[in-house]
Amino acid sequence: MDTANNENAQDSLAAIEEIMKQTRKAIASAHTNPLLIFWGILWVISFASAQFYLAYAHYICWSMAAVGGVGTFIIFRISHTQPFIQSEHRLRIGRRILCSWILLYAYVFIWLAMLAPFNGLQINAVCSTAAMFAYIMIGLWVGSYFMVWLGLAVTATTLIGFYFLPHYYCLWMAFTGGGTILCTGLYIRLRWR
Amino acid sequence: MTELDNIIHQPVRLRIMSALVALEPGGQMDFIFLRNLLKATDGNLGAHLEKLEDAGYIRIEKTFVARKPRTFISVSDKGRDAFTQHIAALKLIIKTSKG
Repeated sequence: MDTANNENAQDSLAAIEEIMKQTRKAIASAHTNPLLIFWGILWVISFASAQFYLAYAHYICWSMAAVGGVGTFIIFRISHTQPFIQSEHRLRIGRRILCSWILLYAYVFIWLAMLAPFNGLQINAVCSTAAMFAYIMIGLWVGSYFMVWLGLAVTATTLIGFYFLPHYYCLWMAFTGGGTILCTGLYIRLRWR
Repeated sequence: MTELDNIIHQPVRLRIMSALVALEPGGQMDFIFLRNLLKATDGNLGAHLEKLEDAGYIRIEKTFVARKPRTFISVSDKGRDAFTQHIAALKLIIKTSKG
Protein backbone atom coordinates (compact mmCIF):
# COMPACT_ATOMS: atom_id res chain seq x y z
CA MET A 1 0.00 0.00 0.00
CA ASP A 2 1.12 3.54 -0.66
CA THR A 3 0.17 7.09 0.07
CA ALA A 4 -0.43 9.97 -2.31
CA ASN A 5 -1.19 13.64 -2.20
CA ASN A 6 -3.92 15.55 -3.99
CA GLU A 7 -1.77 16.52 -6.99
CA ASN A 8 -0.50 12.97 -7.46
CA ALA A 9 -4.06 11.63 -7.30
CA GLN A 10 -5.28 14.13 -9.88
CA ASP A 11 -2.39 13.24 -12.22
CA SER A 12 -3.16 9.54 -11.84
CA LEU A 13 -6.86 10.04 -12.61
CA ALA A 14 -5.98 12.16 -15.65
CA ALA A 15 -3.55 9.47 -16.86
CA ILE A 16 -6.24 6.78 -16.46
CA GLU A 17 -8.78 8.85 -18.39
CA GLU A 18 -6.28 9.63 -21.15
CA ILE A 19 -5.11 6.05 -21.70
CA MET A 20 -8.71 4.74 -21.72
CA LYS A 21 -9.59 7.34 -24.35
CA GLN A 22 -6.49 6.44 -26.39
CA THR A 23 -7.33 2.74 -26.15
CA ARG A 24 -10.86 3.23 -27.46
CA LYS A 25 -9.58 5.44 -30.28
CA ALA A 26 -6.80 2.99 -31.24
CA ILE A 27 -9.32 0.13 -31.38
CA ALA A 28 -11.78 2.20 -33.42
CA SER A 29 -8.97 3.29 -35.74
CA ALA A 30 -7.68 -0.23 -36.37
CA HIS A 31 -11.22 -1.42 -37.10
CA THR A 32 -12.34 1.39 -39.36
CA ASN A 33 -9.43 3.12 -41.09
CA PRO A 34 -8.67 0.33 -43.65
CA LEU A 35 -12.33 0.25 -44.69
CA LEU A 36 -12.67 4.04 -44.89
CA ILE A 37 -9.46 4.41 -46.92
CA PHE A 38 -10.48 1.58 -49.25
CA TRP A 39 -14.01 2.93 -49.83
CA GLY A 40 -12.75 6.52 -50.11
CA ILE A 41 -10.32 5.56 -52.91
CA LEU A 42 -13.03 3.48 -54.58
CA TRP A 43 -15.50 6.39 -54.51
CA VAL A 44 -12.94 8.84 -55.91
CA ILE A 45 -11.91 6.52 -58.78
CA SER A 46 -15.37 5.27 -59.73
CA PHE A 47 -17.22 8.61 -59.48
CA ALA A 48 -14.49 10.46 -61.37
CA SER A 49 -14.55 7.74 -64.07
CA ALA A 50 -18.34 7.91 -64.29
CA GLN A 51 -18.18 11.69 -64.88
CA PHE A 52 -15.80 11.34 -67.82
CA TYR A 53 -17.31 8.13 -69.25
CA LEU A 54 -21.00 8.83 -68.74
CA ALA A 55 -22.06 6.18 -71.26
CA TYR A 56 -20.50 3.51 -69.02
CA ALA A 57 -21.67 5.03 -65.72
CA HIS A 58 -23.98 2.08 -64.93
CA TYR A 59 -21.22 -0.46 -65.47
CA ILE A 60 -18.82 1.62 -63.39
CA CYS A 61 -21.40 1.84 -60.60
CA TRP A 62 -22.00 -1.94 -60.52
CA SER A 63 -18.28 -2.63 -60.76
CA MET A 64 -17.71 -0.31 -57.78
CA ALA A 65 -20.33 -2.24 -55.76
CA ALA A 66 -18.75 -5.59 -56.70
CA VAL A 67 -15.16 -4.48 -56.00
CA GLY A 68 -16.35 -2.82 -52.77
CA GLY A 69 -18.08 -6.01 -51.60
CA VAL A 70 -15.07 -8.23 -52.35
CA GLY A 71 -12.63 -5.71 -50.84
CA THR A 72 -14.71 -5.35 -47.67
CA PHE A 73 -14.85 -9.14 -47.32
CA ILE A 74 -11.05 -9.40 -47.72
CA ILE A 75 -10.45 -6.64 -45.12
CA PHE A 76 -12.80 -8.41 -42.68
CA ARG A 77 -11.01 -11.74 -43.30
CA ILE A 78 -7.58 -10.20 -42.66
CA SER A 79 -8.72 -8.51 -39.43
CA HIS A 80 -10.37 -11.79 -38.35
CA THR A 81 -7.24 -13.89 -38.94
CA GLN A 82 -4.91 -11.32 -37.34
CA PRO A 83 -6.93 -10.04 -34.38
CA PHE A 84 -5.46 -7.48 -31.99
CA ILE A 85 -8.48 -7.68 -29.73
CA GLN A 86 -10.28 -10.93 -28.97
CA SER A 87 -13.78 -10.51 -27.64
CA GLU A 88 -16.98 -12.51 -28.07
CA HIS A 89 -18.92 -9.29 -27.54
CA ARG A 90 -17.12 -7.51 -30.41
CA LEU A 91 -17.52 -10.54 -32.66
CA ARG A 92 -21.28 -10.54 -32.04
CA ILE A 93 -21.50 -6.78 -32.72
CA GLY A 94 -19.44 -7.21 -35.92
CA ARG A 95 -21.74 -9.95 -37.20
CA ARG A 96 -24.83 -7.84 -36.45
CA ILE A 97 -23.34 -4.84 -38.25
CA LEU A 98 -22.58 -7.02 -41.31
CA CYS A 99 -26.15 -8.45 -41.31
CA SER A 100 -27.55 -4.93 -40.96
CA TRP A 101 -25.60 -3.75 -44.04
CA ILE A 102 -26.82 -6.69 -46.14
CA LEU A 103 -30.41 -6.15 -44.99
CA LEU A 104 -30.25 -2.40 -45.60
CA TYR A 105 -29.13 -2.85 -49.21
CA ALA A 106 -31.64 -5.66 -49.79
CA TYR A 107 -34.40 -3.27 -48.72
CA VAL A 108 -32.96 -0.40 -50.78
CA PHE A 109 -33.14 -2.62 -53.87
CA ILE A 110 -36.72 -3.64 -52.99
CA TRP A 111 -37.77 0.00 -52.62
CA LEU A 112 -36.01 0.97 -55.85
CA ALA A 113 -37.70 -1.90 -57.69
CA MET A 114 -41.11 -0.84 -56.34
CA LEU A 115 -40.68 2.84 -57.14
CA ALA A 116 -38.94 2.42 -60.54
CA PRO A 117 -38.24 3.90 -63.05
CA PHE A 118 -35.30 5.97 -61.85
CA ASN A 119 -32.45 7.67 -63.59
CA GLY A 120 -28.81 6.90 -62.75
CA LEU A 121 -28.43 10.09 -60.71
CA GLN A 122 -31.37 9.19 -58.46
CA ILE A 123 -30.24 5.58 -57.95
CA ASN A 124 -26.76 6.75 -57.10
CA ALA A 125 -27.98 9.39 -54.65
CA VAL A 126 -30.28 6.85 -52.94
CA CYS A 127 -27.47 4.26 -52.60
CA SER A 128 -24.98 6.87 -51.36
CA THR A 129 -27.34 8.34 -48.76
CA ALA A 130 -28.38 4.80 -47.68
CA ALA A 131 -24.70 4.03 -46.95
CA MET A 132 -24.40 7.26 -44.98
CA PHE A 133 -27.60 6.43 -43.09
CA ALA A 134 -25.89 3.17 -42.06
CA TYR A 135 -22.76 5.08 -40.95
CA ILE A 136 -24.88 7.36 -38.76
CA MET A 137 -26.83 4.47 -37.22
CA ILE A 138 -23.67 2.44 -36.52
CA GLY A 139 -22.05 5.55 -35.05
CA LEU A 140 -25.00 6.09 -32.72
CA TRP A 141 -25.13 2.43 -31.66
CA VAL A 142 -21.43 1.99 -30.92
CA GLY A 143 -20.88 5.56 -29.68
CA SER A 144 -18.46 6.55 -32.48
CA TYR A 145 -19.49 10.12 -33.10
CA PHE A 146 -16.97 10.64 -35.90
CA MET A 147 -19.06 8.10 -37.88
CA VAL A 148 -22.17 10.19 -37.22
CA TRP A 149 -20.46 13.39 -38.40
CA LEU A 150 -18.95 11.64 -41.42
CA GLY A 151 -22.38 10.27 -42.38
CA LEU A 152 -24.03 13.67 -41.99
CA ALA A 153 -21.27 15.47 -43.93
CA VAL A 154 -21.38 13.11 -46.91
CA THR A 155 -25.21 13.12 -46.89
CA ALA A 156 -25.12 16.92 -47.06
CA THR A 157 -22.62 16.92 -49.95
CA THR A 158 -24.71 14.29 -51.79
CA LEU A 159 -27.83 16.45 -51.49
CA ILE A 160 -25.97 19.58 -52.63
CA GLY A 161 -24.64 17.71 -55.67
CA PHE A 162 -28.03 16.15 -56.43
CA TYR A 163 -30.06 19.37 -56.29
CA PHE A 164 -27.61 22.07 -57.32
CA LEU A 165 -24.94 20.40 -59.48
CA PRO A 166 -26.68 17.57 -61.38
CA HIS A 167 -24.40 17.96 -64.44
CA TYR A 168 -21.27 17.61 -62.34
CA TYR A 169 -22.75 15.25 -59.77
CA CYS A 170 -20.22 12.41 -60.25
CA LEU A 171 -17.22 14.73 -60.14
CA TRP A 172 -18.68 16.47 -57.10
CA MET A 173 -19.21 13.12 -55.34
CA ALA A 174 -15.71 11.96 -56.24
CA PHE A 175 -14.06 14.89 -54.51
CA THR A 176 -16.48 15.76 -51.72
CA GLY A 177 -17.99 12.34 -50.89
CA GLY A 178 -15.01 10.11 -51.71
CA GLY A 179 -12.56 12.76 -50.55
CA THR A 180 -14.30 13.13 -47.18
CA ILE A 181 -14.33 9.36 -46.58
CA LEU A 182 -10.69 9.00 -47.67
CA CYS A 183 -9.48 11.96 -45.59
CA THR A 184 -11.39 10.72 -42.53
CA GLY A 185 -9.76 7.30 -42.91
CA LEU A 186 -6.30 8.85 -43.26
CA TYR A 187 -6.88 11.23 -40.35
CA ILE A 188 -7.95 8.36 -38.08
CA ARG A 189 -4.99 6.25 -39.21
CA LEU A 190 -2.48 9.01 -38.49
CA ARG A 191 -3.96 10.57 -35.37
CA TRP A 192 -5.72 7.77 -33.51
CA ARG A 193 -2.94 5.27 -33.15
CA MET B 1 -3.40 10.89 2.96
CA THR B 2 -5.04 7.68 1.75
CA GLU B 3 -3.83 4.15 1.08
CA LEU B 4 -3.63 3.05 -2.52
CA ASP B 5 -2.93 -0.24 -4.29
CA ASN B 6 0.84 -0.11 -4.72
CA ILE B 7 0.86 -2.69 -7.53
CA ILE B 8 -1.52 -0.64 -9.68
CA HIS B 9 -0.25 2.79 -8.64
CA GLN B 10 3.11 2.41 -10.47
CA PRO B 11 2.74 4.61 -13.63
CA VAL B 12 3.35 1.92 -16.28
CA ARG B 13 1.12 -0.61 -14.51
CA LEU B 14 -1.56 2.05 -14.06
CA ARG B 15 -1.53 2.62 -17.83
CA ILE B 16 -1.61 -1.12 -18.53
CA MET B 17 -4.60 -1.62 -16.25
CA SER B 18 -6.39 1.43 -17.72
CA ALA B 19 -5.97 0.08 -21.26
CA LEU B 20 -7.18 -3.41 -20.33
CA VAL B 21 -10.14 -2.16 -18.28
CA ALA B 22 -11.22 -0.09 -21.32
CA LEU B 23 -12.11 -3.42 -22.98
CA GLU B 24 -15.43 -5.01 -22.13
CA PRO B 25 -15.29 -7.93 -19.59
CA GLY B 26 -13.81 -11.02 -21.28
CA GLY B 27 -11.96 -8.98 -23.90
CA GLN B 28 -8.30 -9.80 -24.61
CA MET B 29 -5.67 -7.45 -26.01
CA ASP B 30 -2.71 -8.46 -28.17
CA PHE B 31 0.72 -7.85 -26.57
CA ILE B 32 2.03 -5.90 -29.59
CA PHE B 33 -1.09 -3.73 -29.73
CA LEU B 34 -0.68 -2.92 -26.01
CA ARG B 35 3.06 -2.26 -26.44
CA ASN B 36 2.41 0.18 -29.30
CA LEU B 37 -0.44 1.84 -27.43
CA LEU B 38 1.70 2.45 -24.34
CA LYS B 39 4.86 3.16 -26.37
CA ALA B 40 6.73 0.73 -24.13
CA THR B 41 9.56 -1.69 -24.86
CA ASP B 42 9.03 -5.46 -24.90
CA GLY B 43 11.18 -6.01 -21.81
CA ASN B 44 9.66 -3.21 -19.75
CA LEU B 45 6.11 -4.16 -20.61
CA GLY B 46 6.83 -7.85 -20.00
CA ALA B 47 8.24 -7.16 -16.53
CA HIS B 48 5.22 -5.10 -15.47
CA LEU B 49 2.79 -7.63 -16.91
CA GLU B 50 4.49 -10.33 -14.86
CA LYS B 51 3.96 -8.33 -11.65
CA LEU B 52 0.30 -7.81 -12.46
CA GLU B 53 -0.11 -11.49 -13.32
CA ASP B 54 1.57 -12.53 -10.05
CA ALA B 55 -0.94 -10.34 -8.19
CA GLY B 56 -3.78 -12.09 -10.03
CA TYR B 57 -4.90 -8.84 -11.69
CA ILE B 58 -4.41 -9.98 -15.28
CA ARG B 59 -4.34 -13.21 -17.29
CA ILE B 60 -1.75 -13.86 -20.00
CA GLU B 61 -2.61 -16.37 -22.69
CA LYS B 62 -0.05 -17.55 -25.23
CA THR B 63 -1.58 -19.02 -28.34
CA PHE B 64 -1.09 -19.53 -32.08
CA VAL B 65 -3.04 -17.52 -34.64
CA ALA B 66 -2.52 -18.54 -38.28
CA ARG B 67 0.51 -20.58 -37.12
CA LYS B 68 2.15 -17.54 -35.54
CA PRO B 69 2.71 -17.22 -31.77
CA ARG B 70 0.59 -14.51 -30.17
CA THR B 71 0.18 -13.30 -26.60
CA PHE B 72 -3.18 -12.01 -25.41
CA ILE B 73 -3.73 -10.20 -22.13
CA SER B 74 -6.98 -9.69 -20.26
CA VAL B 75 -7.91 -8.21 -16.90
CA SER B 76 -9.28 -10.62 -14.28
CA ASP B 77 -12.34 -9.97 -12.09
CA LYS B 78 -9.95 -9.45 -9.17
CA GLY B 79 -7.97 -6.93 -11.24
CA ARG B 80 -11.10 -5.07 -12.28
CA ASP B 81 -12.24 -4.83 -8.65
CA ALA B 82 -8.79 -3.68 -7.52
CA PHE B 83 -8.72 -1.04 -10.26
CA THR B 84 -12.18 0.23 -9.27
CA GLN B 85 -11.09 0.47 -5.64
CA HIS B 86 -7.88 2.23 -6.65
CA ILE B 87 -9.86 4.87 -8.54
CA ALA B 88 -12.19 5.26 -5.56
CA ALA B 89 -9.13 5.80 -3.34
CA LEU B 90 -7.75 8.44 -5.72
CA LYS B 91 -11.09 10.27 -5.76
CA LEU B 92 -11.24 10.12 -1.97
CA ILE B 93 -7.81 11.74 -1.72
CA ILE B 94 -8.95 14.61 -3.95
CA LYS B 95 -12.23 14.98 -2.07
CA THR B 96 -10.53 14.91 1.34
CA SER B 97 -7.93 17.49 0.36
CA LYS B 98 -10.66 19.83 -0.93
CA GLY B 99 -12.88 19.27 2.06
